[in-house]
Amino acid sequence: MPEGIELLYSIETKSLTKSFGDLVAVNDVSFSVKKGEIFGFLGPNGAGKSTTMMIFTTLLKPTSGKALIAGFDVMKDAKHVRENIGFVQQETTVDEYLTGRENLLLQSKLNHIPKNEINKRIDEVLDLIELSDKQHQAVVTYSGGMRKRLDIAGGLLHHPKVLFLDEPTVGLDIQTRRKIWQYIKKIHTEFDMTIFLTTHYMEEADNLCDRIGIIDGGKIQVIDSPENMKNALGNEIISLVVENNSNHDLFLAELKKIEFIKKINEENLKLILFTSNGTEVIPKIFQISSDLGIKIVTLSLTQPTLDDVFISYTGHEIRDDKSKFNRKIEHAKMKRLRA
Amino acid sequence: MNSIMYDTYTIFWRELKRYKKSRSGVLIRLIQPAIWIIVVGNIFSETQPLIQSVGFEGEYIEFMAPGVIILTAIFTSIFGGVNTLWDRRYGFMNKALTSPISRSAIALGKMASISLIAALQASLIIGIALAIGVTFPNPLMIIPIMGIVILFSLGFSGISVSLAATAKSQETFWGMINLLGMPLFMLSPALFPLELLPNWLAVIAKLNPVTYTVLLVRELMTGVSEGGVPIWISIVVLFAFVITMVAITSYVFTREVNKPF
Repeated sequence: MPEGIELLYSIETKSLTKSFGDLVAVNDVSFSVKKGEIFGFLGPNGAGKSTTMMIFTTLLKPTSGKALIAGFDVMKDAKHVRENIGFVQQETTVDEYLTGRENLLLQSKLNHIPKNEINKRIDEVLDLIELSDKQHQAVVTYSGGMRKRLDIAGGLLHHPKVLFLDEPTVGLDIQTRRKIWQYIKKIHTEFDMTIFLTTHYMEEADNLCDRIGIIDGGKIQVIDSPENMKNALGNEIISLVVENNSNHDLFLAELKKIEFIKKINEENLKLILFTSNGTEVIPKIFQISSDLGIKIVTLSLTQPTLDDVFISYTGHEIRDDKSKFNRKIEHAKMKRLRA
Repeated sequence: MNSIMYDTYTIFWRELKRYKKSRSGVLIRLIQPAIWIIVVGNIFSETQPLIQSVGFEGEYIEFMAPGVIILTAIFTSIFGGVNTLWDRRYGFMNKALTSPISRSAIALGKMASISLIAALQASLIIGIALAIGVTFPNPLMIIPIMGIVILFSLGFSGISVSLAATAKSQETFWGMINLLGMPLFMLSPALFPLELLPNWLAVIAKLNPVTYTVLLVRELMTGVSEGGVPIWISIVVLFAFVITMVAITSYVFTREVNKPF
């Protein structure tokens, strides 16, 4: 890559594919992440998130296709990719018996930070993650959240162009999780890096990400901003339960005529209306129901969450296992695990 | 090249830091060789006439002390690679692999640290040997002996690091280690002179790099050369072993860590 030319994209992939035997973990994936973006990668377990991240961080070679990180090809130029990325893994990887500062010193050396810079950089990141006062204690005395912060700090020392965070808040309590989000935002503004994160938590993606990609079955289902995704479903959801009435079908027909209602899901006497202007729709519903003599038992107005978006794209909620047991795939997995 | 040295030192530094913080292990690992030298050294003390028949004048315990020094080196270095498996399991390996350091340097740094630790353990065994009455005709010989132990352990730790990189489970690793460690020790003149081995065993022993290391240390410690192997051959074999192991380990390690774990 020639010097001085501004890169538009920090991550670019073209038809990226990775298969393990018969199992296609990543299937013809093409997308780009803009420079300076926080991009969230969402999907159920086994969807291909981790495999994709392992390819981006040069831990796995793709079967076919191309991936450029900070302008460098992960296949042909792995060394330059490694110089330009920070990788914070899902499990905490700090050495428990070393102190916080020793861990960062090790990380600095692994990343070839010039000797005269090392102390300055360590002080800088310790300050950022607010661990300066605990830096000389062995990590074994740290709480889970502190370890995670130290791990994240380790990924920042060499000022990478792209920071990869693999499920950064998994296993942490709510307060700690929010704290980590604050740190991630702070890092993003102070270091002006591109951040690529995978997560299970819709709230996390909603809170942090400029754009989200939903992956399922090794394929990207949709990429958009969290706002647009939610708006695509209409921006409000009205759920109501009515009493049984002979005019029920007529009631439904009348509801469908209301212009703001995009979609109606019906489960027995519970109706779910996807709408774009709920506050104006509700009085109309009352009007129609009283005209037809239908009694409304409950009614609520909610905003769609990313969970609703996720389910509408993947057809299932985030969960641990694929529904069908496939002997061949399981066998292939076991083979990989065996020594 | 410069950067390989720097990277190797980084890993070496990390491994020694970890070793320092787990000091309780030092004493535990001394128990086995201490038992060997104290118990076996005394059980076989009546075999002195046999030892004398091949030209060795001292006590049996003085004959086998070099063997136990090498035993310490063998077991410290062959177990030493096990943390490679932990590193892969708990993410340190991925952290190192996604940083710009070279893959070979990870293996070399581990080997260098294991060999230094083995030398430390061996020096403690020399201390025990001195305490129970083994004498050094020339105490200065401790320096070249430590040099030999460091070199030998460097080569031997390569076996451990390669196996740990190849094995995906603890069970496989320990199985392989048990398969290799004891036979390599027994098929050497560590406990008995080469001359007294049956021919077919002597032939196998002569293919074993441990044999030459034991002969070297014994010659330096007691001044007796044994087995009809000139000292320069032992030195050449030792160096060839170390160079081969460094090359094989760099290759195997680099190949194995590039596969998914």
